[in-house]
Amino acid sequence: MKGVKALILKDWKLIFRNRLLFAVLIIYPFIIMGVIGAAFGGVGRPVPIALVNLDSARPGETAWTGVETAAAEALERRFRRRAAQVSEYGSDSEAVAALSDGEVNSLMAVSAPGEAPLWLGADLSPEEISATLLDLSREADAWHEYASAEEAIASMEEGRDDVLFAVPEQDYPYLDESIWLDKENYDAYSLVSKFGQDVTDIEAYASEEKARDDLKRGRVDAVIVLPRGFVHSLKTLDEVAQVPVIIDQSNLVKAEFAETSIRGFLSRIKDGVVENKTEAVVAGLYVLVGGGDFFGTEVVGLDQIRENLLELKEALGDRPDLQEKVEVGIDLADTVIGDIEEAAAYLRGTALPIALEISSIAGRPLSAKDAVVPSLIALSILWTGVLCGAILMVIEDEEGMRIRLGLTEMGAFSLVGSKLLLATAVVFVQSAVMLALAVAVFGAFSSDILLSLLIIAAASFSCIGMGLVIAAFARQVAAAVILSVLVCFPLIFMTGVVFPLSQMPAFMQWIARAIPLTYAIEALAGVMLRGETVADVAWQLFVLIAFGVGLLTLGSLLVRRRST
Amino acid sequence: MISIRDLSKDFDGIKALAGVTLSVGKGETFGLIGPNGAGKTTLIRILTGQTVPSGGDILLDGETVDPLEARYRLRIGLVPQEPAFYGRLTAHENLTLLAGLYGIDKGQITARVADLLSWVGLEEHTARQVRFFSRGMQQRLSLAMGLVHHPDLIYMDEPTSGLDPEARLSLWDLILRLAEEGRSIFLTTHNMEEADRICDRLAILIGGTLREEGTPQRIKGLLGTDRVEAMLLEDRSAVLEALCGRLGLSWKSEGDKVVISGPELADKLPEIASSLMGSVRNLHYREVTLEDAFLRFMREVKR
Repeated sequence: MKGVKALILKDWKLIFRNRLLFAVLIIYPFIIMGVIGAAFGGVGRPVPIALVNLDSARPGETAWTGVETAAAEALERRFRRRAAQVSEYGSDSEAVAALSDGEVNSLMAVSAPGEAPLWLGADLSPEEISATLLDLSREADAWHEYASAEEAIASMEEGRDDVLFAVPEQDYPYLDESIWLDKENYDAYSLVSKFGQDVTDIEAYASEEKARDDLKRGRVDAVIVLPRGFVHSLKTLDEVAQVPVIIDQSNLVKAEFAETSIRGFLSRIKDGVVENKTEAVVAGLYVLVGGGDFFGTEVVGLDQIRENLLELKEALGDRPDLQEKVEVGIDLADTVIGDIEEAAAYLRGTALPIALEISSIAGRPLSAKDAVVPSLIALSILWTGVLCGAILMVIEDEEGMRIRLGLTEMGAFSLVGSKLLLATAVVFVQSAVMLALAVAVFGAFSSDILLSLLIIAAASFSCIGMGLVIAAFARQVAAAVILSVLVCFPLIFMTGVVFPLSQMPAFMQWIARAIPLTYAIEALAGVMLRGETVADVAWQLFVLIAFGVGLLTLGSLLVRRRST
Repeated sequence: MISIRDLSKDFDGIKALAGVTLSVGKGETFGLIGPNGAGKTTLIRILTGQTVPSGGDILLDGETVDPLEARYRLRIGLVPQEPAFYGRLTAHENLTLLAGLYGIDKGQITARVADLLSWVGLEEHTARQVRFFSRGMQQRLSLAMGLVHHPDLIYMDEPTSGLDPEARLSLWDLILRLAEEGRSIFLTTHNMEEADRICDRLAILIGGTLREEGTPQRIKGLLGTDRVEAMLLEDRSAVLEALCGRLGLSWKSEGDKVVISGPELADKLPEIASSLMGSVRNLHYREVTLEDAFLRFMREVKR
């Protein structure tokens, strides 16, 4: 072990006096810790949720319901039978005008194969409207709620719905109902807001369309659509409250956070409601057994009846024939008491839940495989772009050729231009092959490959520009590689690839907005997974190109300045 | 052909060059010698456009030029201290690339590259990647790369640094052939033998200042002369006094030997030897070298 101390001291001096080594070995871990710590420091932040409350009547609005059903004709017949007088309209606009003018308070449209839909209007009583809605729900294979006539009519034109039913919202049954829970009275919005306040940041949206827009833009992480009659179904517990939830599955972690949070607090609502209800019923059943007040009526309980029968049996000691008859009564009381206890236990154990209808903003369920492809491609653009930009430039220094090339007739920007073109070609071809493999071989989803390629090209400029900037600070390829890794590694954590931006502290979100990769991931995920168009990602494309031009210019200037 | 007037360069307040003025004529081989850190490489970097000077002018054929101007750039060639080429390309590929970038006509590139490879003796190694070349071969390729566009003036920054004697001689031979072709050569070197053998004219640069300039003979003459060193068996002061007086020489004792020096010493050697015969253990004739002169100059500067 002789000389160990001297060798250790020597190595420490070597590290301490080499700025790059010192930064990589000693300082960098703290930077990474800071970046990851800051990114994950926001864990537990409320998930931003858009809440569209259809369980609230808005005066002047119409409630549109559409169903996919094989019983369209039967529903039409029942509608006609129920109404005292039915008007037929030649077109949807005529029908909608009749409803909005108050000529009728309900419309039904029935699609006929190969023909224009048949529009019927009638004035129905609240009971008849409820009965019609009940018919629809019984016959529906799928049930849809629409915020506007246009939406509902378009859906029927696309063949999604076979029957449409419209009534003014003030006439729609079960809207604006409230429910008592934990000694407080809630309507649909306040119920969800209250129970979700610990884990979500709920904002009310007037329409599902606007909420979906904000989901696409990443302003919210999920959209909850409270259906008409949501609170009513919680109160009656006679049917499952189907709650559509739209999440952005293009980021699996974000989707998971959102879904878990929503399931969590809706489950608390369900438990509360179910418990209250079942307890009330169970308590009532036990009154039947034990006696007491049963919804305002003093009831003699089965226990008391049994006691009385036992006393009667004893009193009839010398009449075995009568005793036998009393015995039957006692057995019957025992059986009923046992059945009631069983029923109470059953009620406690079963309850109609709130069911979530989870759907993806992409319009189709996405698998992990689908969701990971945009991020992988964006990371490969970052990796290859930065490394290519840096290495191709630094290689001229390492080989000592930059001076020689500078003396030739080569144009002022030929060197940078040649590097940019080659690096772009490498990044573009590599990413295009990855995309093709992901789609063709692994079956990943991409809704617009050409637009994805355009984004790849725009993103590659930015990343190559970053590489050029790095090249200005390195003279050997090895140093360029190390610097590139040092730069790329924290970016992966700061751009929402690993951890959703919405869960990061505000300052980290601002930093993420200053990193081109953030826009590349957003745009790629949008185009590949959410079916976004060039108009939807125009901003991201613009930012990527602006970053590209800026970084390439800065890199070129730094490289030229260093070489003189 | 090229003149430098009052050229200076400061690096964060440190003067790397302080008003250097010199010129290199057409067909002349000019050598810049000086210790490490004298500013030789800085001067070459300025003259090849890699570093911007703090002051002074560069004149090409009497006209002030910016080293980045094409009319200057395309007339100079460079042989840097460290060989500069793409190691994973062959010699042929390196030269072809450079010829193309210099705008040599495509039809002439092949012939030009073949000529150069033959000229530097690498014609049998055209298909090998350059990283597998010996250092000497690499430096010969580096020279060829500096000549690809027929420059009038070639800058060489310590071109034989790190070469073995055989490779050094081979490169000297090539440089002398260039000089014979009438190219102007501006080289920096630590190797005094190289400066003495190759250069028509020399300048000594110390601490960014030009101290002396002239032919190798003049520099040597300025700073030292040939001498005879003799180890004597007995005191022959009287003989030495008479001998030196007669031949116009001078003598002095240096430790256990006497040193005789003076003009045309080589011609007077037989007479010196016969005068000291019988009382001398050994006798050496030492011709002054540029290295002796340089070292003596450096000692004087330090004093």
